[in-house]
Amino acid sequence: MTDKLMIALKSIGKNKNRNFLTMLGIIIGIASVICILAIGDGFTHTMIKGMGNHNMRNKVIIQWEPTSDYNTDGGFTQNDASALAGIPGVDHVKLTSSVAEAGAKAQYKTKNFSIGLNKQPKHLKLVKGTYFTMTGASNGVYISEDLAHKLFKENAINRLISIDGTIYEVQGIYHIGSMEYRPDAYVAKTTFKQLFANQIIKDQAKIYVNDGASKKQIGKAAVKRMKQMGEEKKTGKYSVSNPDQISKQFTRILNDVTYFIAFIAGISLLIAGIGVMNVMYITVSERRKEIGIRRAFGATSSDIRNQFLIESVVLCVIGGIIGMILGYILVSIINAFLPFKAVITPYAIILSLSVSTAVGLIFGFIPSNKAAKSELVGLLKEE
Amino acid sequence: MLKVTDVGKTYGKFTALENINLEVADGEFLAIMGPSGSGKSTLINILGLLDQSYTGEYLLENKSYKDVNDNQLSQIRGDELGFVFQNFKLLTTYNVYENIEVPLIYSKKEQNKKRQLVADVIDKVGLKGKEKNIPSELSGGQQQRVAIARAIVNRPKLIIADEPTGALDSKTSKEIMDIFTKLNQAGTTIIMVTHDSEVAEYAMRTVYIRDGRLYNDEKSVKNHD
Ligand SMILES: Nc1ncnc2c1ncn2[C@@H]1O[C@H](COP(=O)(O)OP(=O)(O)OP(=O)(O)O)[C@@H](O)[C@H]1O
Ligand SMILES: [Mg+2]
Repeated sequence: MTDKLMIALKSIGKNKNRNFLTMLGIIIGIASVICILAIGDGFTHTMIKGMGNHNMRNKVIIQWEPTSDYNTDGGFTQNDASALAGIPGVDHVKLTSSVAEAGAKAQYKTKNFSIGLNKQPKHLKLVKGTYFTMTGASNGVYISEDLAHKLFKENAINRLISIDGTIYEVQGIYHIGSMEYRPDAYVAKTTFKQLFANQIIKDQAKIYVNDGASKKQIGKAAVKRMKQMGEEKKTGKYSVSNPDQISKQFTRILNDVTYFIAFIAGISLLIAGIGVMNVMYITVSERRKEIGIRRAFGATSSDIRNQFLIESVVLCVIGGIIGMILGYILVSIINAFLPFKAVITPYAIILSLSVSTAVGLIFGFIPSNKAAKSELVGLLKEE
Repeated sequence: MLKVTDVGKTYGKFTALENINLEVADGEFLAIMGPSGSGKSTLINILGLLDQSYTGEYLLENKSYKDVNDNQLSQIRGDELGFVFQNFKLLTTYNVYENIEVPLIYSKKEQNKKRQLVADVIDKVGLKGKEKNIPSELSGGQQQRVAIARAIVNRPKLIIADEPTGALDSKTSKEIMDIFTKLNQAGTTIIMVTHDSEVAEYAMRTVYIRDGRLYNDEKSVKNHD
């Protein structure tokens, strides 16, 4: 086999320029294949990793959305949760909220604003005042710079404001960076629990499924059950929350790009194949003498066919390897512009080699067969 | 070694060979002479199993190969026969060693054995030190030695040579014929086509072809005329 490869390499090396031009199609085709697969694989890889982060492996999220913009009360109740937990394959159900803050009215004298508010975090950097963990009884509040300015213009510290009718004393002011998300006010943990937490509707039911259970089926069953007996079915809609929702659009664009590159790859490979066939025809007719000699010295017609087939395959595989290298470079460039990392998997390499081999075999077959079938006496008359 | 009975060959309406009867014994060295276009090459192509479309019967070692398949024919050509051609027919991009190795590529011998066989014949035809040269770097005589080495590397029983000295001067022709004589003395049967009666002298026996017909001596050819 190695000597057969050497024969192939030798005769390819003899016509480097011609063969390189023939390989161009393969190179472009395979480089495209590598890019498609790298982008596709990279995307899937990122998606799966993302899901892993959110522990999506064993959980389905059911979403409740209000039908009316004015009445947003609703969500899942404890009864709903029990109903969902009764679905076969469900391990347990957790109700959560997609919004982290409560809505409230803040008032100072005649000015009043709708604000978002939450329980105070462990740490918070203040621009004014000192930060400490407040008790429920203290009725303190931390407000954002922005809200402080709107309510008091200046000197907000230690002033009193009313939030939903309860009086709070401003303990400190914090800055919200442009890239940062924070509510307008923080109150003590216990205060928040007592007065505001019930306001935050549980609009998500996280359904943890048993190993081996189908998330898809359970998701469907859960939505169906909620549509029948959900306690807030009148005020809202239930649906399976799709974590890839945002990426859907992106996937579509990606698919378009993929089809486009695949199209280029297909065309290049077809043109490449025709080029290979052409160059193999030329090779065969140039080497009639050689074929005659080999036949006279014991080569069977299948030896000859194999020789040219191997040559055609080797030509394509060399093109394929150059294509992979080019593809690798392209992928590195593409990676600079992608929000995820395109990866070249072993599968992509195997596929590229297989495609190259297939092109070599398919388009090399007819010329090789011609070589194998030539009449011996005629061949030996060639010079 | 071989027996030809009533063999004929036509190209369309043209009769290239007619009524050929010939017997060659083991160990014989036969020369075939005749003018250009008389059918010499046509005949030895049949004898060398290179051409299978003829009429009549041809037995090589008492066996007819008329109806055997391509694989078996190739095997016989590779193992039992050795060809030498007028214009050497070497692979121009392969070096001496690689050219001589060609018949071995298609025979099932182990690599070491093959190397040994090539080294032996290179020695035999006096090309030591030229293994790495390509044909264009050799003289005509040296190229024909390469061709002979290639023909004998697989130790064939029968060598078929079509004008082996046709492209060589008389001194070089003599050297080549000395090699042939030695091979023949070592037991190889040789059938050689030649124009040159001096070259034919080396053979044990000479037959003559004229217009596709075979004659056993020059006199009968003249009588025929
Ligand atoms: N493929 C072919 N088609 C038609 N006629 C052919 C073919 N090959 C050979 N011939 C004819 O057959 C005759 C014998 O040819 P052949 O090659 O055997 O001659 P030769 O004796 O070897 O001549 P030379 O000494 O010139 O080599 C010639 O007249 C030639 O024209
Ligand atoms: Mg001739």
